[in-house]
Amino acid sequence: MSGAWILGLPDPASADVAAVGGKGAGLHRLVALGARVPAGFVVTTDAFRAALGDTGDVEAPLRDLPPDAPIDAVERAAAQARARLLRSTSTGPVLDAVRTAYDGLAGGIVRVAVRSSAVGEDAAGASFAGEHDTFLELRGRDAVADAVCRCWASLYTARAVSYREHAGAGPAGAMAVVVQEMVPARAAGVFMTLNPANGDRSTVVCEAVWGLGEPLVSGTVTPDRFVIDKISGEVVRREVASKERCLLRDPEHPGTHETDVPAERREQPCLDDAELAEILELARRVERDAGVPQDGEFAVADPGGPARVHLLQTRPETVWSTRAPRAATDGARSALSAVLATLTRGTSAARPIHEGTPDHGG
Amino acid sequence: MAADRFPSPFDIETPPGAEGWESMYDWYHLFGPERRELDEGRFWFADRLHHPDVLHPYDEIQCECWWQALGAFNTRIFAMPPAFGVDQRIVNGRLYVTPVAAPAEDIAARAEEFGRRAGHYYERWDAIYAEWKEKVTAKLEEIRSLRFDPLPDLEPESTVFEHVGHSAGFRMIRDFDRLVLTMYETYQYHFELLNIGYAAYLTFFALCRQAFPDISDQSISRMVGGLRVELYRPDDELKRLAKEAQRLGLVGRLSGTDDAATLFDALRADDAGAEWVADWERTADPWFLINTDPGHPGGYHTYPTWADQPDIPLASVREYLRRLEEGESIDRPTDEVLAERDRITAGYRELLNDADRATFDETVALARQVFAFIEEHVLYIEHWMWATFWAKSHELSRALAAMGEIDEPEDMFFLRRYEVAEAIYDCVAAWSVGSRPRGADHLRPTIARRREIYTALRAWEPPPALGPPPTQIDEPFTVMLWGITTSTVSEWLRADGDEGVLRGTAGSPGIVEGPVRVVTHPNELTEVQPGDVLVCPATSPSWAPVFARIAATVSDVGGIMSHTAIVCREYGMPAVVGTGNAVSTLRTGQRVRVDGDTGVVTVLEPDAERSGAGPSRTP
Repeated sequence: MSGAWILGLPDPASADVAAVGGKGAGLHRLVALGARVPAGFVVTTDAFRAALGDTGDVEAPLRDLPPDAPIDAVERAAAQARARLLRSTSTGPVLDAVRTAYDGLAGGIVRVAVRSSAVGEDAAGASFAGEHDTFLELRGRDAVADAVCRCWASLYTARAVSYREHAGAGPAGAMAVVVQEMVPARAAGVFMTLNPANGDRSTVVCEAVWGLGEPLVSGTVTPDRFVIDKISGEVVRREVASKERCLLRDPEHPGTHETDVPAERREQPCLDDAELAEILELARRVERDAGVPQDGEFAVADPGGPARVHLLQTRPETVWSTRAPRAATDGARSALSAVLATLTRGTSAARPIHEGTPDHGG
Repeated sequence: MAADRFPSPFDIETPPGAEGWESMYDWYHLFGPERRELDEGRFWFADRLHHPDVLHPYDEIQCECWWQALGAFNTRIFAMPPAFGVDQRIVNGRLYVTPVAAPAEDIAARAEEFGRRAGHYYERWDAIYAEWKEKVTAKLEEIRSLRFDPLPDLEPESTVFEHVGHSAGFRMIRDFDRLVLTMYETYQYHFELLNIGYAAYLTFFALCRQAFPDISDQSISRMVGGLRVELYRPDDELKRLAKEAQRLGLVGRLSGTDDAATLFDALRADDAGAEWVADWERTADPWFLINTDPGHPGGYHTYPTWADQPDIPLASVREYLRRLEEGESIDRPTDEVLAERDRITAGYRELLNDADRATFDETVALARQVFAFIEEHVLYIEHWMWATFWAKSHELSRALAAMGEIDEPEDMFFLRRYEVAEAIYDCVAAWSVGSRPRGADHLRPTIARRREIYTALRAWEPPPALGPPPTQIDEPFTVMLWGITTSTVSEWLRADGDEGVLRGTAGSPGIVEGPVRVVTHPNELTEVQPGDVLVCPATSPSWAPVFARIAATVSDVGGIMSHTAIVCREYGMPAVVGTGNAVSTLRTGQRVRVDGDTGVVTVLEPDAERSGAGPSRTP
């Protein structure tokens, strides 16, 4: 039984992971929570299957590989699978539906991001972070349709194949694709609803850079880092990095370009307190809704301010969330036994732990 | 270049003109050859928290009270597991202290004793605290009832007809001893509850920090604070008097700049005014028995109380009136503070491991229980007891001056308390016999010389510490009370810090900019302008009204539990405490940025002349 090919993010049917993939379902949930999410639609797994039609078995070249095949053999087989897939999907009614859906976004003139949303990715326990393709700052119906095809094909990059094997995820399933308007980002970054350095669940750690967030996600720049107390809302630590380069939308043509950050902004924090407060509020809402610690990506649209903070995606945090919260006592039960434990183990625990910043004696 | 140790106490030179300063203090309070080996191996820091200024010889009793009492309760009574007492020495008139650690091998045995002993107190805390208030109030009544008058030519008839059986001279000798011993006894009670209280408070800190390594000190304090403690009562009384003035239609008459005496005389002319003045006078005892020392209240005989100098509380009443007239609320937002306390407590609790929640509940409950005492004991002892002690000491000094034993009352404070006892005996013996004391003629050269020495000592800038620094400072009370940590000490050792940057403890969150107002004496509080950054050795509860006017506070001494930090958190304004040298570094009028999140004060405009303008932007 075949469902819709295109679903709007607010559409209740977008709650179905099997139809819209992990990222799509996550975005639907954010929209349902009332978070600010860039407008967009999902090209569903049904659309993917329909586009494949009866081409048959694109995975055959991979399946024939021996279990310990050398990497170049995996690479070759993956390329064959991708070629088969592109050949069979690059024309037909599904891509026409994609083009029409793009035209529906602000009259077909907006720049969009096209991101793969595989079924099984972004689940707790396996992040699949960066294993499938993403295309930024695209404009025009054909460019978008082409990017959707290439997202489909990224199911069969060598790294995605290896990662699936490593994660025990089995053969590739169906792939959904998210198409969303691009936020003209003044700053962007990631947040986690716990401190990954120490597992402190009372903090939201936020890292951000000027411009688009991709250089941060791919780890090519050092971001500003903010540690915010979830309960009190205080920014308990600010580490402002020297941010020399940033990725911006190309003003002339579709696409992005890397450029120098103007000297006077390099040492400035790229988020202000009001924006951080908004990110904290969003992070807390998302975590409460999900019931487990989350990480997420956001972008602050030009010219900034809390009302321009957009969530781009969120997913369960995969390292600490599978563990119990930090233990605070050594099994002490009464207040007196806690007092004794404190007095006899020294008081280093009673002082702030400054992590990576000078200790000011506070 | 950073040095690796502070000067040896045995290498400290006497400032020019202060030769012979040692005679001003008791021999056991000084560094000496007998303890040289021990004392040179210890790390001493200047106790500017309790004693920011040069000690008068008479005021040395203040140090003695806590030296002995803190030590006995930690070391001998409760067997505080890691900590013995805090040792003291005086160098060039300044008090230096060093916490004494318990031997590591004794800690387990001491912990067992402590569990039984302190446990007894924790289980009965509220009842013991109620008893405590009665004990201390009785002591207060005891010293209030002492009277020091010039001795009469002829004893009153009552001495005879009521068969009193002793003389006014004897009573002067006896009552001076009583005055000293009663104060001393009260200090026992001071430490009866204080350090075990701090231990419980500290435990809650440790638990929170273990569960939430990123949690700020402020968040932890907020979970404990916010109670309606009596310490705020004096300030609340000022607010009440402001509202009363409004109700009685006295706003216009109070808004002038007359001093309190003139104003009160004028007000007494009609019923409404007289009613208000009578209210003020009823309120003054005991609520204006408030010391005004910067730092630890009651530490010196030289600072007036509100009752002594009603212009200080009057300025506050006027400020409150002004705000009332502008339609502002002047009430302490206690309910909001309490609601916020409960909200954040529930917030952190929810994030805990299931197994930890019960301990968290018990520990926060105990911390809140002890916190009322930690706050309120200051009112009972540092304010009421010390204010009365100093008032009675002044009364005695006036009596001795009137009898010619000294030339003027202030002379008495240049004598050590043992020397005062001797002078009293000299005076009383001569009075009894009908003879002549050696008195002022004998004491005059000593006192004159000591006045010179005192002035010379005040010009001396004491090093923040002496001796070899410890590799790690983790003695709980040093860290908590004095705000001194391993990194503070490294900061002191660093010869050249960042130009224009002062670091201290983040006492209360927030970031503001404003002009500096250096205040070292409560008389200067009237000069504080709205929006000023108050820079002071430390604040005192008697300064409370000024917090309504200022934008931030920077103090030389104090940790997160200092008065400055607590009050600023209450008022929601940034504070950086324990900077060490803000008062000597910053000048009135300079623009600074106070970052209460990180504990950093930055000078924005080094030129004090150009400042005082409107708000400026952060670059």
